Amino acid sequence: MKQPFKTLFLSVASAGALVAGAQAASLTDGMKEGTPTFKSAGPLAFGPGGILFVADSKAATITAIATGDTGAAPSSRGLKVEGINQKIAGLLGVATDQILINDMAVNPISRNTYLAVSRGRGTDATPVLIKVDLEGQLGVAALEKVKFARAELPDAPVDGVVGQGNRQSNPRQETITDVGFLEDRVLVAGLSNEEFSSTLRAIPFPFKTVEKGTSVEMYHGAHGRFETRSPIRTFVPFKVGNHLQLLAAYTCTPLVQFPVDDLKPGAKIKGKTVAELGNRNRPLDMIVYQQDGKDYLLLANNNRGLMKIRTDQLENTENITTPVPDGDKKGLTYETIANWTGIEQLDRFDSKRALVMRRGEGGVLSLESLALP
Amino acid sequence: MTRVWSAFISWRLVSVSFLAWVGFLVGGTSVGAAASEYGLKWVQLSSDKRSFVVEVTGLTSKVLSRIRASGLSAAGWPKVLSVFVEQRDPMDELGIPPMVGTYRVERGVILFKPTYPLQPGVSYRAEFRTETLPFAAGAQGLTISSSFKVPLVQSAASTVVREVYPTSDVLPENLLKFYIHFSSPMSRGRLYEHIHLRNASGAEVVLPFLEIEEELWDPSDSRLTLFIDPGRIKRGVQPLEQVGPALETGKRYTLFLDRDFKDGMGNPLKEAFAKSFLVSLPDRDPPDPATWKIESPKRLSRDPLMLVFPEPMDHALGLRMIHVTNESGSSVAGEAELIDQERRWRFTPDGRWNRGRFFIQVQTAIEDLAGNNIGKPFDVDLFEGVQKRFVNSTVRLAFRIF
Repeated sequence: MKQPFKTLFLSVASAGALVAGAQAASLTDGMKEGTPTFKSAGPLAFGPGGILFVADSKAATITAIATGDTGAAPSSRGLKVEGINQKIAGLLGVATDQILINDMAVNPISRNTYLAVSRGRGTDATPVLIKVDLEGQLGVAALEKVKFARAELPDAPVDGVVGQGNRQSNPRQETITDVGFLEDRVLVAGLSNEEFSSTLRAIPFPFKTVEKGTSVEMYHGAHGRFETRSPIRTFVPFKVGNHLQLLAAYTCTPLVQFPVDDLKPGAKIKGKTVAELGNRNRPLDMIVYQQDGKDYLLLANNNRGLMKIRTDQLENTENITTPVPDGDKKGLTYETIANWTGIEQLDRFDSKRALVMRRGEGGVLSLESLALP
Repeated sequence: MTRVWSAFISWRLVSVSFLAWVGFLVGGTSVGAAASEYGLKWVQLSSDKRSFVVEVTGLTSKVLSRIRASGLSAAGWPKVLSVFVEQRDPMDELGIPPMVGTYRVERGVILFKPTYPLQPGVSYRAEFRTETLPFAAGAQGLTISSSFKVPLVQSAASTVVREVYPTSDVLPENLLKFYIHFSSPMSRGRLYEHIHLRNASGAEVVLPFLEIEEELWDPSDSRLTLFIDPGRIKRGVQPLEQVGPALETGKRYTLFLDRDFKDGMGNPLKEAFAKSFLVSLPDRDPPDPATWKIESPKRLSRDPLMLVFPEPMDHALGLRMIHVTNESGSSVAGEAELIDQERRWRFTPDGRWNRGRFFIQVQTAIEDLAGNNIGKPFDVDLFEGVQKRFVNSTVRLAFRIF
């Protein structure tokens, strides 16, 4: 998830900027000024007031950066940057195959696009944040003398043991698969490289110095009424009636709904499986938007294209509690948007458009704003 | 150490009409120079063979002081001096921005320092354009360029697969993961192209692994975790009709790693790797500590403490989730290993064992090869009542040293 939930319900962009501006002061309370450094970069999400959350799996941290990028977008023009990977490679001075783009997020105020990039793939890989403006100009995001705050993701403690007796270095690492901002907390979906489990942390924001965050394990019923602890690939918060809900897409690929109020420390949550989107498919990104007074969800997949889902149908969709017989699809109906092909990243660009990163002919990777379907 | 790579500079006049004397008038003063007087130098910084600065030489002190006085902006400098990654087809260079870096005027030269080091084997081109100097508006100028490459030193491929866990050559049908240990850090980004699961006839099993874009490496990038896609693990009587399970009982498979899987230095592996194994019946029973055997050490010895399992345990979790404490809960320092195809946990203490009561503390999240935890199989029927609270608990196995 890339954009703050709050902005989804503001129909006028400038109103979003005003609200965000008013919140910005309190959101930067407790931040220090300096130059944040990273061991790895991505996923990304914007909060209000131009605050960018950068997940760093290698360092096991979430960094909130007050980018200061809070000027309203100067025009309503769209964006198209062809060969974005080649252009980033040129800017950073490497061959194109040495650029990995880990995530993309659009600043909802300025509509500048931020990309979490790895320069290099080996031992000398360097994380870089790239900013693309509405003119399509690329630059390295300026992080000198910015206000920032950092939350460290704690490692799982061991009950009943004081001190670490075994001398081996700890090769456990939690890979962050998605990050999102919701009202007063940062949600972080993670996956361990050892125990097979999916965790969702809700970290209060602004970060407190000693705040460790809380971890919640989420379960869903699928694969023939069996639990799996499959990792959450991407998630998005949305509202059903007055209730905040979280919709999470798993790797293989149930779509599961959770009430946000259930995300309490130490909780074990059972979600409602609202759709089985089929095998051999990986969800990539989700966004929520409004069209003609209705809320829609757009889900990008690696193998089953782009799915448009009406969120008001979620409430009436029954939990899938029986096996999905052919490993295919079941539940919530959706519309497949045929001409949005090769999508690798998706975010909301403005109230009428999405921004996609898509791979075209010859493997050319482009950034492109497209009218929401 | 500063080293000038003048030998590598290839001069190329982009504008042929300025091959001879080139001059331009600025504010009534001629500040021209012979084309041959301008120079572009690639200067190595420090002992890092990839860190270079580009210098423009041959500028008169008058020009330099005017450049200083003009206060060129960050956006203005790249128009005067820039470094590009050269593309095979010059047409591909259209729209590619120059390398990011910082500019200075000092010691009689304009100096550009790229933010990032150069990549060996990649060709770069520096361009200096006089007509874009801020005080040269409207004047005809010249562009000089210089191409440069840090030689790619091919080192011998030396990285190998050191071990793959589980080490047994008989693995359950519902195997959850492999850990692949390499002798050196590896590269990221193309993982699943290089790892294959093949059946006995050599045919590739399609998409057997859970493909995680971020790739599950340890912090040193030398241990890879490879999950079998849970959607491809056969469950009870409900096989996945569409794609079928990744592994089937009684059949033989090979986990294969291509040689061109790149290590962290960009070199291929020394050799391809293959692990062949036979698939046995699925394991749906949670590990039961009541069936584990403790082999206690002798008092005042440094003999290892042994914990013997009736089945192999997950290698990483076996090492991380078992601790020895004394009666007060303080951990006993030492080194743990999993041996005998991960059926035996061996703990060698740093000091001698004292008389007393000790505990082996095992986190219930420990897994066997099929991802079953203590007290909880990997597959649970959730609709038969769900525990509302999750407790990260441990079991304590007591032993006494007399």
